[in-house]
Amino acid sequence: METTLFHVFRNTPRGREILMQSLFFCKITGASILIYIPEHTKFLMYFENDVVQVDLDKSYLTDPDTAKKHAEELAEQAGIYPRFLHPKNFTASTLPDIPVNFDFMCCPRSITSLSSKISLGHIGPKVRRIINAAKFPVLIPAPQFKEWQNLTVFFGGSANSVKALKLGLHLSRVTGKPLDIFTQTGRKTKKYFEDILTDNKLDTEVEENVRQWYFFKKGDFKHNLYNVPHDALAVLGAYGHGLVKDVMFGNTMEIIQKTLPNTLLVAGPHYVIPPG
Amino acid sequence: MFWRYPGKLDFFRMDDRLLLIQIGIIVGILSGMASVGLTWALGSILDFLRPLRHLWWAFLLPAAGAMCSSLFLEKIMNEGAGHGVPEVIYSVSRYGGLMRLRSCFTRLISSCLTIGSGGSAGPEAPVVMSGAAIGSNIGKFFNLNDRQRITLVGCGSAGAISAIFNAPLTGMIFALEVILGEWSMVNIIPIAVASVAGAETCRFFEGNRIVFESSPFNISSYDLLACLGLALMAAIASVLLTRMLRGMHHISGKVELPFWIRAALGGAAVGFLGFAVPDALGEGYHAIHAMIHGLYAAGMGLAAMACLAKIVATSLTLGWGGSGGIFAPCLVIGSFAGLAYQRMLVFAFPSVAWSGEGFFALLGMAGMMSGLLQAPLTGLFLILEITGSYDVMVPLIIVSAISTTITYYFEPVSFYLKELVDRGALLRPGTDQRVLSDISIREVIEKDCITVHPDMPLRDFIDAVKKSTRNYFPVEDAQTGKFLGMIYFDKIRPYIFNTFLYDTVFVEQIMDADPEVVYYDDDLSDVLHKMDLKKCFSLPVISNERFVGMVSKATLLDKYRDELKVQTAQIV
Repeated sequence: METTLFHVFRNTPRGREILMQSLFFCKITGASILIYIPEHTKFLMYFENDVVQVDLDKSYLTDPDTAKKHAEELAEQAGIYPRFLHPKNFTASTLPDIPVNFDFMCCPRSITSLSSKISLGHIGPKVRRIINAAKFPVLIPAPQFKEWQNLTVFFGGSANSVKALKLGLHLSRVTGKPLDIFTQTGRKTKKYFEDILTDNKLDTEVEENVRQWYFFKKGDFKHNLYNVPHDALAVLGAYGHGLVKDVMFGNTMEIIQKTLPNTLLVAGPHYVIPPG
Repeated sequence: MFWRYPGKLDFFRMDDRLLLIQIGIIVGILSGMASVGLTWALGSILDFLRPLRHLWWAFLLPAAGAMCSSLFLEKIMNEGAGHGVPEVIYSVSRYGGLMRLRSCFTRLISSCLTIGSGGSAGPEAPVVMSGAAIGSNIGKFFNLNDRQRITLVGCGSAGAISAIFNAPLTGMIFALEVILGEWSMVNIIPIAVASVAGAETCRFFEGNRIVFESSPFNISSYDLLACLGLALMAAIASVLLTRMLRGMHHISGKVELPFWIRAALGGAAVGFLGFAVPDALGEGYHAIHAMIHGLYAAGMGLAAMACLAKIVATSLTLGWGGSGGIFAPCLVIGSFAGLAYQRMLVFAFPSVAWSGEGFFALLGMAGMMSGLLQAPLTGLFLILEITGSYDVMVPLIIVSAISTTITYYFEPVSFYLKELVDRGALLRPGTDQRVLSDISIREVIEKDCITVHPDMPLRDFIDAVKKSTRNYFPVEDAQTGKFLGMIYFDKIRPYIFNTFLYDTVFVEQIMDADPEVVYYDDDLSDVLHKMDLKKCFSLPVISNERFVGMVSKATLLDKYRDELKVQTAQIV
């Protein structure tokens, strides 16, 4: 099935590096890329049951005259034909509406004005809201460009992690890259997780396609994360907890992205697995 | 968390009106509270600034207010300025009534700063936006579907108008006529209930008062005849205000200054104008009170000048970056127009026993509202409810109807809808654009096409034709899979029947190398436009330079009918 990745381009060295990661993702998965070069520092995304206003920092408007040329050059080097998004609808004159009918979206750690926190590995509030509201998974690139050679799915048994596993298996099929599963069992037994796979009719597929299933009954979650291959695309499901719950009880997604230097692909609670 | 999904409960599945009525009451009460809050805050700011109004530098007050208002919206809240009703209509028409949470309060604060400092604008549109956003966000919280959320947006708008004017019927009609643009049974009852809830909330805090209470009028047949002229005058004022507002917006857009300085310049100009015509400042309700009770002493010239000054002041305030609505200025301008007209009648026909100036002032308000909003029912019921003068029903109908008709001749689209219509963003339910906007190319793509390669001889191509059920064939590069062009069977018939060409002609020679193509993210209205221009019935869909399928008019029509059935079923 044809898929499209949406990328908000920033014409800075870091922005170009992030675009390279998007292009690599497209190249490996066969997706096309839709690039948006912002003309305003904010835009709206109308999802099914939420509207998210994304406030960009001013670096996104850097040197607009060369932005398209730079993006095209990078795409050409990757062998990808880029398409550029020109918003047709505006909620206000400086507030374009960006469509949400694509299959992936690339978001740096933060696309809010908190640009100083990018390098600190902070997932900005807007990125969280996009993940929570979107029907598509969000690609959060690694701090530095790195070609990923395999996939690791974080499987904790929840409905969202089942979705993430299905996404991981799909990408593994499409890319031909090996797939690993990472599970921190806690008090649960391996049979508990196997039963979930059986209930979701994934047992055979997992058995045939998964290279290794990392099971950790003991040990600190953060410490165990170091077993994830450094060149893996980490695929995980996000629960979509509210801010209060996240602050009170912590957030697995936040722990993973803070600890792992890898590129992440996060499927939110509204992610819809494409048919086939 | 089943309570977050009340729409899924069996009890509400049969008929969700009961659910919408219950939530509508909450929305109405909250909208009413927003209105009460805004009225209180405005009153407090006006009282606080009153001692400064006589000072020589008082013209700077509207400038400071407009500047703070625009800075608050742009820098603190990151939201575009404006009076907000078009944004509500836009969200209803295009995005199922989805609105940002911040919209619940941003316009309340910004309009408070603009109007409280003396800017010529009204608090009604900001409170409508606030009420609508409250409805939308409550709908989001309870995970309601688009139709239910739109109803709640209507509930919020109705509750807001109902509360600020203590006019429940007007609130309901405004929501249906202006905001939703449709009168359906599923909407009317929840909106009516929310409107009552809004009015009752306001009455609880502020008492049951009629905003511009008037005494009964003695209406003669001469007055009825005079209504025709007043309708014309109100229509002229409506057209003038509409065009001046738009003109000021364009002029300010061309001034290369920071937005907050532009807003301050507009505010300062209003301040200067206020020295000459004090009634042009603020919302101006005190002037309406005076006119309705026959206490406004100005003659024809001064009344006409006040009318013009209010039009200019409103255009300067809103066109240059201040925040607020046009409801209140409309009422003030209309009443000044009515007063000037009454003075002119008395001057021209001194022997006729004309009805009092209050009568013409309130007819002028109705004519102005109806003309500007292209919403005669809203104008009519608003004046009836805010004045309590049900004896003027007939002249009100005459003025509203004629003013709407005349204004329509010059400005076919209402002030609120003009911008949306100009940029093609208004999609009313059941319209062609709306139906097409709800269908994506992915839903209508046809993938059962046989692809051919450019180096294929015509003989092999004929074999492909035999196997195919389609009369178009995409041409792809054999190595890269890149889309190279199309072969339309209709265009190559001469080659097909000439067997001598079977081994000498190749696909590359007969293909259309530059066909019109579409992409996944194209709007179907654009796709249909391309088909009409090219006079073709199908177009190839391309992604990443590869052919992915065809989109045809026939399949599109099938899907269109399905979607139309869904949408019209919702309306019924």
